[in-house]
Amino acid sequence: MKHGKLFAVVLLAALLAAAPLFLNAYQVDVLNSIGLYGLLALGLNLILGEAGLFNMGHAAFYAVGAYTAAILNTRYQIPILWTLPLSGLTAGLFALVVARPVVHLRGDYLLIVTIGVGEIVRIALVNDIFGMTGGANGIFGISRPQLFGIVIRRPWEFFYLIWGCVALTIFLFLRLKQSRFGRALNYLREDEVAAEGSGINTAYYKLAAFGLGAAWAGMAGTLFAAKMTIISPESFNFWESVVLFMIVILGGAGNIAGVLLAAFLVIGLPELFREFASARMLVFGLVMVVMMVFRPRGLLPARGGRFSPVTLARGRG
Amino acid sequence: MEEFFQQLTNGLAVGGIYALIALGYTMVYGVLKLINFAHGDLFTYGAYLGLTLLTSLALTDRLGFALGVLVLVLMVMGLVAVLGAILERAAYRPLRESPRLSAVVSALGASIFLQNTLMLIYGARFQVYPDNILPATTLHLFGLYLPLMRVLIVLASVAMMAALYLFIQKTRIGTAIRAAAIDQGAARLMGIDVNRVILLVFLMGPALGGAAGLMVGLYYGQINFTMGWVYGMKAFTAAILGGIGNIPGAMVGGLLLGVIEALGAAYLSIAWKDAIAFLVLILILIVRPTGLLGERVADKI
Amino acid sequence: MKQHLLALVAALGLAVGGVTAQAADTVKIGLMAPLTGSWASEGQGMKKIVELLAEQQNAKGGVLGKRIEVVTEDDGGDPRTASLAAQRLTTRDVVAVVGTYGSSVTEASQAIYDEVGLPQIANGSTAIRLTEKGFKHFFRTAPRDDEQGRMAARTIDKLGFKKIAILHDNTSYAKGLADEANALLKSQGAEVVFFDALTPGERDYTAILTKLKGANPDVVLFTGYYPEAGLLLRQKKDMNWKTPFLGGDATNNVDLVKIAGKEAAEGFYFLSPPQPRDLDTPDAAAFLADYQKKYNELPPSIWAMLAGDGFRVIVAGIAGAQSTDGDKIAEYLHQDLKDYPGLSGPISFDAKGDREGEVYRVYQVDAEGNFVLLKL
Repeated sequence: MKHGKLFAVVLLAALLAAAPLFLNAYQVDVLNSIGLYGLLALGLNLILGEAGLFNMGHAAFYAVGAYTAAILNTRYQIPILWTLPLSGLTAGLFALVVARPVVHLRGDYLLIVTIGVGEIVRIALVNDIFGMTGGANGIFGISRPQLFGIVIRRPWEFFYLIWGCVALTIFLFLRLKQSRFGRALNYLREDEVAAEGSGINTAYYKLAAFGLGAAWAGMAGTLFAAKMTIISPESFNFWESVVLFMIVILGGAGNIAGVLLAAFLVIGLPELFREFASARMLVFGLVMVVMMVFRPRGLLPARGGRFSPVTLARGRG
Repeated sequence: MEEFFQQLTNGLAVGGIYALIALGYTMVYGVLKLINFAHGDLFTYGAYLGLTLLTSLALTDRLGFALGVLVLVLMVMGLVAVLGAILERAAYRPLRESPRLSAVVSALGASIFLQNTLMLIYGARFQVYPDNILPATTLHLFGLYLPLMRVLIVLASVAMMAALYLFIQKTRIGTAIRAAAIDQGAARLMGIDVNRVILLVFLMGPALGGAAGLMVGLYYGQINFTMGWVYGMKAFTAAILGGIGNIPGAMVGGLLLGVIEALGAAYLSIAWKDAIAFLVLILILIVRPTGLLGERVADKI
Repeated sequence: MKQHLLALVAALGLAVGGVTAQAADTVKIGLMAPLTGSWASEGQGMKKIVELLAEQQNAKGGVLGKRIEVVTEDDGGDPRTASLAAQRLTTRDVVAVVGTYGSSVTEASQAIYDEVGLPQIANGSTAIRLTEKGFKHFFRTAPRDDEQGRMAARTIDKLGFKKIAILHDNTSYAKGLADEANALLKSQGAEVVFFDALTPGERDYTAILTKLKGANPDVVLFTGYYPEAGLLLRQKKDMNWKTPFLGGDATNNVDLVKIAGKEAAEGFYFLSPPQPRDLDTPDAAAFLADYQKKYNELPPSIWAMLAGDGFRVIVAGIAGAQSTDGDKIAEYLHQDLKDYPGLSGPISFDAKGDREGEVYRVYQVDAEGNFVLLKL
């Protein structure tokens, strides 16, 4: 990493960490929203960006995680943050089960299947499946998270929780990217046939990407449930999947910094455009088109693998 | 049994509209491999433009019902086609050499833009077609209630689809479109102007979508600026169901989806209707990974 | 490029953080409404009504000698956007908030306002549990679903229907009302022959109507919203099916008849808080005339009018408490505001913040498409 770049990253991180000191509750909450979508988008980035699997139903996994957390918390009084690994696991397993029979489909067919899965999950939630999801009302009365004896309730407290998770995710996913696993996914994305020819078990890697990405969405779901204290099916509609899809592609599929930047723009811009009142989504749509036209490969395109022999040796593991 | 046939006709009427819109998706996809997510909004524009032209020009008063509606359909198709061409120029052409998904995001942005433009022009409230234009006759045949307009809608959709199919299969331009869909590079070498083919596809698809929007407006009466999202999604599903890129596939997929929905609602559950439709789609794709009529494409090595 | 992107992010941060100018001689009242999204027509109506009322109040000298300024935020009709809209309003020096329409949307904002002590007066949110949480600053000018459920059961009984089909649309509001009515109808011995949900936002409901017809009910209770109700009526007529429909209060919208057509809408019953013009308050008549004059249309629905009542109640609260302090306004509204002359009738709040008194009436659409108050 070049010194200049390192400096910029450190500066940005410090600026972000200090943000609650000079921003008001609303602005901090916008950052919270951005962080949450950042987490979701980083998970989707594994599936869509790194492995190149068209997934436009990410909200389904997000919903499974959020509902797992909410049900465990409201029915069995398990502290909400403790449900984090479990909701990740549930969402990941759900993704594996769903993806298993369809993961071999070609791009656009997979796209509609994931859209379908997203809709089926939402409809199931609305229809109060298993009598546990509360139908259209959703689940309410989810307790506030506690960390080291502190109850997290105010926007700036959530800010550190959410962005702490984002930081951890960045760290983990950067490591993953450098690993044999990450390179196999990229190979898959660039040329599936060649990847298979070089002995990569494509089905295994595709499923692994799906499971891991979905698990991240599940955990983000827990954070969402904890923050809102009420969840309902409409928070997990098709539009959420579309937004996440746009974030990953706009950011530059496969580039972590790009995806985060895009989360800032896609979630932040509609807030910024509040001054336009009824016209704010119009301006937003226009900006999306213009950004794509001027940065067709995304804001920060993923660069093809440049790996030093050292990292390669480490990844061989 | 009567109820079954009634539901079947219900499904076919809805499916006919899906099929018309699905054609727009499938044609664009065939040539450009692009999912035009703004196509549903072009359908909405058809409905709104139809309403404006109908009320401002009073066509049916001046020309009588049949001729008035015919002129109206042609005008709407023309206008929406031009809109489609503009869309292609502004939002898709700059991205033609880019990764495919970039164009999808551009399409989504365009969809948001188009939808909100309509909301700002016409207002957010539902717009309503005047209800005295169409004959409100209902045929009562074999114990089935068939409103005349529904029958006309199905007939009109089938006629348009047949015309399109013949055009694509029998004319020189149609052959050029098919060639460009198979291999753009080779088509170019054969002297086909691929840019013109793409333009043509972006005129024809939206024209059909616009016609579908007008029909929905005329028959159902109520239109609003978000309706394209629902219809667009259904039509896209239909196109995939039939095998995207395949024109007869879109027709079959559309009609089939309408019937699945109607029968699913009738015999399983209304509330789960859309979930049932998606489940059937997924099952079909598991058995036939490229849809009902989609061709198996060998991977290039 | 990287520099540009950093600059963009910085600009974004600054703009979101833009300092809003403060003026001490105004009282700011917040309005949270769905200006975009599926319920944009309601939200835009709410905004027009509240802005006109503020204008009129300012012409009369404002409140506490200060000018009223309305600060509107878009909640997009969805809970996540609503929580951001609420956070934003709390930072914009408003003294109280009017809104919003949907129950789940309101719910996402309740705790945020309550935590900072801002009185909130919801206008379209009828879900029962909103006022069961003990929030001291939450009020609503809308009635509750259980009241409407009782009214639905009673009306069906009075009209003499025995076999009832219930259709909802799986929104939290419509499902709640359907469940409420279902339980009451069964307990009073009526037979519920059909209970299911349609998918809102579609155009063709003939499949559902065919199935409903097969169940052969005396009456169909539809608890969903007017766009679907209009289409159901229209397509019902095309099927030559004569069974009457009874709608919930979300079908009370002038567009219902337009969508269905006069002929198809004739005979449709619905429950609703009274229409403004069915009240003999001169206020309501005068206001509607002013509204018509300014915007050249009628307000979209009673729900938007109830936002207007929310605004007026807040103004009354500020004037009555002689203060812009949230706690004092809330206390005044709970205890001292009795039978305030609202546009939709007299307004008093109980200890939970619910509106007191029976507000539901039964209406029927006549051959001309007018909504006629029925005396049952």
